[in-house]
Amino acid sequence: MAGDQALIEVSGVHFAYGGHPIYRDLSLTIPRGKITAVLGPSGTGKTTLLRLIGAQLRPDQGTIRFDGTDVHALPRGELYELRKRMSMLFQSGALFTDMDVYANVAFPLREHTALPEEIIHTMVTMKLEAVGMRAAAALMPAELSGGMARRAALARAIALDPELIMYDEPFVGQDPITMGVLVRLISNLNSSLGITSVVVTHDVKEVLAIAHQVYILADGRVLGAGTPEEIARSADPRIRQFVNGDYDGPYSFHLQGGRSYLEDL
Amino acid sequence: MPQDALAFLGRYALQRLAALGRSTLMLFNALSGVPRPIRHFRLLTAQIHFIGVQSVIIIVVSGVFIGMVLGLQGFNILKNFMATGSLGTLVALAIIRELGPVVAALLFAGRAGSALTAEIGQLKASEQLSSLEMMAVDPLRRIIAPRFWAGVISMPVLALLFCMVGVYGGKLVGVDWLGLDDGIYWSGMQASVELAGDLGGMALKALVFGLVCTWIALFNGYDCKPTSSGISAATTATVVQSSLAVLGLDFVLTALLF
Repeated sequence: MAGDQALIEVSGVHFAYGGHPIYRDLSLTIPRGKITAVLGPSGTGKTTLLRLIGAQLRPDQGTIRFDGTDVHALPRGELYELRKRMSMLFQSGALFTDMDVYANVAFPLREHTALPEEIIHTMVTMKLEAVGMRAAAALMPAELSGGMARRAALARAIALDPELIMYDEPFVGQDPITMGVLVRLISNLNSSLGITSVVVTHDVKEVLAIAHQVYILADGRVLGAGTPEEIARSADPRIRQFVNGDYDGPYSFHLQGGRSYLEDL
Repeated sequence: MPQDALAFLGRYALQRLAALGRSTLMLFNALSGVPRPIRHFRLLTAQIHFIGVQSVIIIVVSGVFIGMVLGLQGFNILKNFMATGSLGTLVALAIIRELGPVVAALLFAGRAGSALTAEIGQLKASEQLSSLEMMAVDPLRRIIAPRFWAGVISMPVLALLFCMVGVYGGKLVGVDWLGLDDGIYWSGMQASVELAGDLGGMALKALVFGLVCTWIALFNGYDCKPTSSGISAATTATVVQSSLAVLGLDFVLTALLF
């Protein structure tokens, strides 16, 4: 396990959802111990990429390797073993609504370890402290704000000390302060625990500040890749439009396809 | 047009077959694998409480009333033939052979089945099933399996309960209200109801109904479209499919058993 080896290698992935192609020959690598940002306009299937890596979806063609293992070739039991090494922060947080925050964070520990309750208590308290949610341990998910729910879910995601965290749109719908807190948390978790992070988002500014590597997806494949500096300097008009958030450019405000406006009227 | 109709029929049949395949796979994956007795036992008891114990009131109330109606109708009809002495036999056989398992299963599908579908659909829509998978906890074994076993265990017990209170309901009307002799009511029943044939058949029917209803409910929830309209459609499908399955299977089982 060389330190410079990529943790995840996506090669030649084709994927269609309900007859609608999402990826056409997508290839990218996620380096170990770094924060990789995957950017792209809404609807380009960024979340789908995370579900493919987690083997919740199966590509029509191509392979995805996690630490050298083809995740889609594994039998059910081994896949579940492998998933213990990765975790995912869902957009909604996906906390278990019938458990309080403490029980949510303790859940993976209770499921996968035989640790005594005192040690679980210590670990849960540490994870909650790491995301600044120790005071909310006894609250139910319904009592949390969106930002708090996401932080609680993050505490649960790091409970088993995974090697990889996949963040699905972590900044969507957050106020600027919460957004700042989440950006810091992602960065801190990466630097202090060395967790490989994949952040899927369309909040360009926030993520460029912390990412080590950036992929921009569009039209089912990688449009641009590089460090945040390289992306910011890119001359490609499509990348420029996306990074700067310009209204006018190669991407039209109107969805393409269908009949012309005149015909529809 | 006949071609369109044929194509529609074919497509529908293929969809139903695919759903049957997916549901079989779901059940197989949920029930295979090594059980973890202590943890799974706790999950199971919680589900038996929800599916079984909380259905007791509706089962008992319905059972008493059905028994009372049978007692009243039966008494009035048997009176014409001077045969009110057979009331115990009539009530007991009607309830134990047919009404007990069937009505209990229909109530079970409406009360517990719909709740299971809605619960699992909601877990799916809010990504909680996905997040279990990503936490390396198999939702089939953690969520589906305990609910399935709880349904299979609860249904025969509920049906037995229904039969007991139903027979007692018949006695309330026939004996306590209309004045049939206590001994005649019970001894007629004792002479005609067989342990293996009648009670065993009842238990077998209830077991099959419980298995089918729970399976349908769990699959519809697990396979639903993760939207609010998807969950509501799945819940409706559960009640409709379970009811039809119970009535259809009841005929088959009756033909085989009695």
